[in-house]
Amino acid sequence: MSRSAAIPALGLGLLMALTAAIGLGSSWIGPERILAVLIGEGSRTDAIIVSTLRAPRALLALLAGAALALAGALLQRATRNPLASPAVLGLVDGGAVGVLVFLLVFSDEANALTVSIAWQPVAAALGAFAAAAVIGILAQRRGWQARELILYGVAVAAFCAAIATLLMIAGPVYRAGQALIWLAGSVHQAHWADVAVLAGVLAIAAPALVLMLRPLDQMLLDGGSAMATGLRPIATRIVALAMAAVLTAAAVSFAGGIAFVGLIAPHAAHRLVGPRAALHLPATALLGATIVLCADIVARLAFAPIELPTGLVTALIGAPYFLYLLLRRPAHV
Amino acid sequence: MALAAIASLHLGLNMYGPRDVATALFSPSNETTDIVIRNLRVPRTVLACLVGASLGIAGAVMQSCTRNPLAEPGLMGVNAGAAFALVAALSLFGVETFLLLSAIAAAGAVLASLLVFGLALSARAVGPGQVLLAGVTVAALLASLTQMLLVTDEQALEALLFWLAGSFADRPVEVLLPGASLLLLTTVALVPMIRALDALALSDEAAQAIGVSVTRTRLVGLGLAALMAGLCVALAGPVAFAGLLAPHLARLMGARGHAQLLPIAALLGALTCLLADVAARMVIMPGEAPVGVLLALLGAPTLIVLLDRRRAGRAEA
Repeated sequence: MSRSAAIPALGLGLLMALTAAIGLGSSWIGPERILAVLIGEGSRTDAIIVSTLRAPRALLALLAGAALALAGALLQRATRNPLASPAVLGLVDGGAVGVLVFLLVFSDEANALTVSIAWQPVAAALGAFAAAAVIGILAQRRGWQARELILYGVAVAAFCAAIATLLMIAGPVYRAGQALIWLAGSVHQAHWADVAVLAGVLAIAAPALVLMLRPLDQMLLDGGSAMATGLRPIATRIVALAMAAVLTAAAVSFAGGIAFVGLIAPHAAHRLVGPRAALHLPATALLGATIVLCADIVARLAFAPIELPTGLVTALIGAPYFLYLLLRRPAHV
Repeated sequence: MALAAIASLHLGLNMYGPRDVATALFSPSNETTDIVIRNLRVPRTVLACLVGASLGIAGAVMQSCTRNPLAEPGLMGVNAGAAFALVAALSLFGVETFLLLSAIAAAGAVLASLLVFGLALSARAVGPGQVLLAGVTVAALLASLTQMLLVTDEQALEALLFWLAGSFADRPVEVLLPGASLLLLTTVALVPMIRALDALALSDEAAQAIGVSVTRTRLVGLGLAALMAGLCVALAGPVAFAGLLAPHLARLMGARGHAQLLPIAALLGALTCLLADVAARMVIMPGEAPVGVLLALLGAPTLIVLLDRRRAGRAEA
């Protein structure tokens, strides 16, 4: 398959996964019935199942997957480190802290929100920014070549996770079990409002990513050649980190920390379409969306009627892959 | 150390004066105060010391055996392995007795550490950072499996959630004695290894020169450390970072050689855990935080400082 044909093929794959995600469940709804619902001809039962239950959930999984995958691609390029990902660098846990603080501050006694849910990703973004800033400052001190970067991420993630646990136990916001599921990454409480906000964030991010294509390609060159082509590495890194934080935060605030997607999708896309950002980023987004959609189907059906958090499924696939990447060649981490 | 223990007895949801504590310890009556102190505070304090000391020793031994200053039962997936084995035993097979649970937790810990170090060695990846990352990833994988078990078993979830974050509270008193004696036995087993560990911490060549079998020392040392960590998980849940902090503090205080390092690390581990436990009761009154959270808040910055000062990845034991 040629490289440019890969994108439409991936798009087709995503469409099939989406059809499966909406069709599969306690009752099977075939593609023809989904279509009928879409054009307003379907039966009432079908319409309710599709439009209030399965469609928002599937779309949330899709969008969260795309956002996390893109964040991973940005981080891997900005740090020149194939092991970088939103979770590894602590951005996911930072975002989670932001969300929990937001819920604590803006909940009334009945656990209802006193402000619009659209502010939640903003709070998550602040948390993720804080984590990204700590990583960025530490990396700047040691020179970005240092592989310590990932280890700093481990420490920052542990710190943020501890704060998040404290907030969960201290706060009347959620029962611990629910929060645990959310932290593990889950799309089981999807509402159209969540889908709209997440889609909005991605829509805003898209043109910014287009502007970033050239510097992101230059980041792949070695330091000297990159400078020669007019790259400003520090500025590029700051922008890439900030964008990754926003994308991660948007995904985390509605779907929790779905693990390892941000790590796997960029690698898989790289093997399919090569390093050019103009092809690599769309392929990454499509793959990330497909991975999370499929993981969510497994999470819903594996132990039905009990649902697993989606993030557990991706972790079971992703963790071994991370180990493989880590140990494939003796790097000087 | 003694001060921290005394504080641990006095401080909590209800503050007690020294007189109350003394009464409870030396002339027990059946008043609420006495009961709280004797049945809750004392075991909790003892347990924090015990687990802290053991984790300090286990961390020190792991760091020397792997010559990796970042080695620590919590970060190396050892605790996660023990926790997974334990939750599996509880939810799948309904195991009840403490001895059996400890054995299972210890087995899980040993297997997880073998997995992490085996993976690292097989890939000839001996950079401290790489082993740490492998450990953290294996821990994440095992934690996912643990959560999977918990999600499919609602009853287990509520009971185990707090325990999984690590805590010294509300442990049955009857497990203290077998737990303590087993931990003591493991510690005693380490004593004859002190010279070998000293040599090994320097270099493989140094160890061979004085006739120490490098592979055997490494395996036995890591095995004993994993065993200790597994017992600690059975007692108090997975507590991370205590084993990282204590040995490094001990070295900072000038501990030379394992004859000094192990006892000082044990004392410091106990002290850290006690203080973290007291802080855990204070930080979100009237609720309680898991002590593991407090240790992570201390330990994560420590890890960053260690990374910052690292020189070519040699532990200075």
